Amino acid sequence: MPILTITNLHKHFGGVKAINDFSITLEKGKIYGLIGPNGAGKTTIFNTITGIYEPTMGEIFLNGKSVIKKAPYEISNMGIARTFQNIRLFGNLSVLDNVIIACHADAKYGIFEAMTKFGRFKKNEEEIKEKCIKLLQIVGLEEMRDDTAGALPYGHQRKLEIARALATNPSLLLLDEPAAGMNEKESEELVRFIQNIHENFDLTILLIEHHMDFVMSLCDEIAVLNFGSTIAMGTPDEVKRNPAVIEAYLGGEDDA
Amino acid sequence: MSGYVEGVIILVCINVIAVLGVSILTGFTRLFSFGNAGFMAIGAYASAILTTKYGAPFPVALVVGPIIAAIVALGLGKLTLKLKGDYFLITTLGFGESVRLLFLFAEPITGGARGLSGIPPKTTMFIAVGITMLAFLGAWNFLRSKYGRNLMAIREQEIAAEAVGINTAKFKEYSFMISAAYAGMAGALLAHYYMFISPIMFNLPKSAELTITVVIGGLGSLSGSVLATILLTVLPEIFRSAAEYRMLLYGLAVVIIIVLKPSGLMGYREFSLRPIFTLYERIFKKNNPTQTKGDGK
Amino acid sequence: MLLQQLINGISVGGIYALLATGYALIYSLLGFSNWAHGEVAMLGAYIGILSVTALQMPFIFAVILAVVGAGFISVFNEKIAYKRIRDNNSPTMFLMIAAMGLSTTFQNLAIVVFGPKFKMYPQILPVGAVKIGSLSVGLLDLVSLGIAIVAIIGLEYLITKTKFGLAVKAASSNMGTASLLGINVDKYIMLVFFLAGTLAGISGILYGMKYTVYPQLGNVALKAFIASVFGGLGSVQGAIVGAMSIGLLETLVSAYIHSGLRDLITFILLIAILLVRPTGLMGKDIQDKA
Repeated sequence: MPILTITNLHKHFGGVKAINDFSITLEKGKIYGLIGPNGAGKTTIFNTITGIYEPTMGEIFLNGKSVIKKAPYEISNMGIARTFQNIRLFGNLSVLDNVIIACHADAKYGIFEAMTKFGRFKKNEEEIKEKCIKLLQIVGLEEMRDDTAGALPYGHQRKLEIARALATNPSLLLLDEPAAGMNEKESEELVRFIQNIHENFDLTILLIEHHMDFVMSLCDEIAVLNFGSTIAMGTPDEVKRNPAVIEAYLGGEDDA
Repeated sequence: MSGYVEGVIILVCINVIAVLGVSILTGFTRLFSFGNAGFMAIGAYASAILTTKYGAPFPVALVVGPIIAAIVALGLGKLTLKLKGDYFLITTLGFGESVRLLFLFAEPITGGARGLSGIPPKTTMFIAVGITMLAFLGAWNFLRSKYGRNLMAIREQEIAAEAVGINTAKFKEYSFMISAAYAGMAGALLAHYYMFISPIMFNLPKSAELTITVVIGGLGSLSGSVLATILLTVLPEIFRSAAEYRMLLYGLAVVIIIVLKPSGLMGYREFSLRPIFTLYERIFKKNNPTQTKGDGK
Repeated sequence: MLLQQLINGISVGGIYALLATGYALIYSLLGFSNWAHGEVAMLGAYIGILSVTALQMPFIFAVILAVVGAGFISVFNEKIAYKRIRDNNSPTMFLMIAAMGLSTTFQNLAIVVFGPKFKMYPQILPVGAVKIGSLSVGLLDLVSLGIAIVAIIGLEYLITKTKFGLAVKAASSNMGTASLLGINVDKYIMLVFFLAGTLAGISGILYGMKYTVYPQLGNVALKAFIASVFGGLGSVQGAIVGAMSIGLLETLVSAYIHSGLRDLITFILLIAILLVRPTGLMGKDIQDKA
């Protein structure tokens, strides 16, 4: 059963067709790549899936349930988590707090229990803290859990964003350019890292990326986007040989 | 203790409660309100009318005042919290002024410009200090729970807060309601301390003063807000002769702080005694040879 | 009778519009509400009145001094506070807090320096009224309306037809791009503050002549701010429409309903309009891009 189905999606801004008849079906447990030149509409698709934009036309189903007209927080609670192209951490808060905030759904206590620390408060909070420390260990940030998130080096900030996304217990994870600004060695390490969390958390992943090596070595299937429409879809090898893709990328990405 | 000192302590307490509410709203949620004096007015008038006209016991008035303020905040918030930045601000400002003008106009109930007098003097120092401590503790715990963390997430990155599943609209309502309830409590205590209230006591400069205090104490620091309130309430009492310079200095302080040290007195940190202990340890345990750095890690 | 009230309302609206356009200009450029704008008008009014009474200057020189002075005070605010906050990369909210602090400072500085008393402008224009048919309109109201119209038309010309206006428009749509295009953004921001300051100065003098001059005169900017929100923050045309509407509304409510309800009705209407149009009558919707 597909986890996410998008059919005939359109998003227009005034006269600009940012997404123009985009369709995709994601099978549970696979890693998908979304590639295409700048301005092809990749991030707009993410923003439409996560409810930041309302689509002009089309349908999006998560596990058979429509997400159209739902608020971003409702979509998150349905099981879609994401990271952002321009990192959006809670900058002035600690690394640990960034992850703990995302666990708010695990905190079952009410407002008066919170103000008085009675009832379920203490036990609940301890469980959450434990879960978050474990998550930080997995992404390798446990050592800096008390540091201010905004002061972390760039690569660590990207990992923290992933950890924060994982804390919401998602079934589908959307990564917007996770390898941006990383060198070859770092992005190779990131491939292993994403494979690792993919297995550990029983996830389906959809990611946007420009690094071709990264996408080719990580993804099971790749959709190529240009001017808001899919121009090719298939396994990395199929996509690599597709003439339409080669044309769209001609002179763009120099890939072996 | 002399009556004068007692009076200053009660005033500090009342101001602290109102400022705590603004601190939660502005310091932790980054929502600006120029209408909290309006919520103070609602708490003050509601409780005073209850005790003077209906003979209600003081504790009942103390509960009902803040609750009415919170309910009004919920209604207003549902309508206006969707508005962005300055648009929201102007509605709170309009609300605060509307409340004042309404109380001024509804003379048969509120006494209009002549005010409402004959309120029983029920706010003792004991009650004021007790409620202030409860209010502080409640706010402190609240901010260290999922509620407070969600508010801080909204302050830091609203889009990311939504993306991790926080219903930002709902939590903004919570923040607004709590801030109104605190203002209402401060108003109720004020009415039963002064034994007299009039609409002019809850004007726009009063709202601005609350916000100024939070900025001086440091946005995002509850203890900073308390410290600033004590400072800004006690200093003018000491320097009585310079009374007309008080607001001038407040204004200057805000400009200087926001330009040079936007974190205020305590920004994002809480006052703790730990630095003092560390200092103590450094001085007195300096020659202790068994102390090694970084053990027990 | 109604017609007379309408003219009164437009005349008051003109004074608000002079302030509101400055507000809108600064908002369109920097995205914050300059709460200290009213105090610029207040200080302008004081410079004018003191030049005439204490320094015995001819009225016209006093006016020029006041208007230019207000312009410089506005630039002073930008220089000592707003620019530094922008350079610190602080949140936009801090600009507004600084403006609030400046507003409090100037208002109380005026109390300390000039005293809390009301000051009257000396009689420059004859008190008389002009008769147009069966209407009799205060001369001052008529002159004040005329000045406001001339100033606003001048402003419209400046921002729609000149290089200056183009540069400001470019800077307000995208500060980064504008500076890449070789526009000295800081210089234009300063010029906008000067321009807004001079308009505030004019409105301060007109307001002071119509009523009196006092330290809290700057609170009239609250009306200008509401007018600006009414019309849509950042839109100069919106600010003018908003200011005129509020001027008319206030006059009509005072005349036909109850003067005690004047501000209350203004505020309630403001909130009602924002509920229907969350960004005012002519405001653009700003969508935060993820």
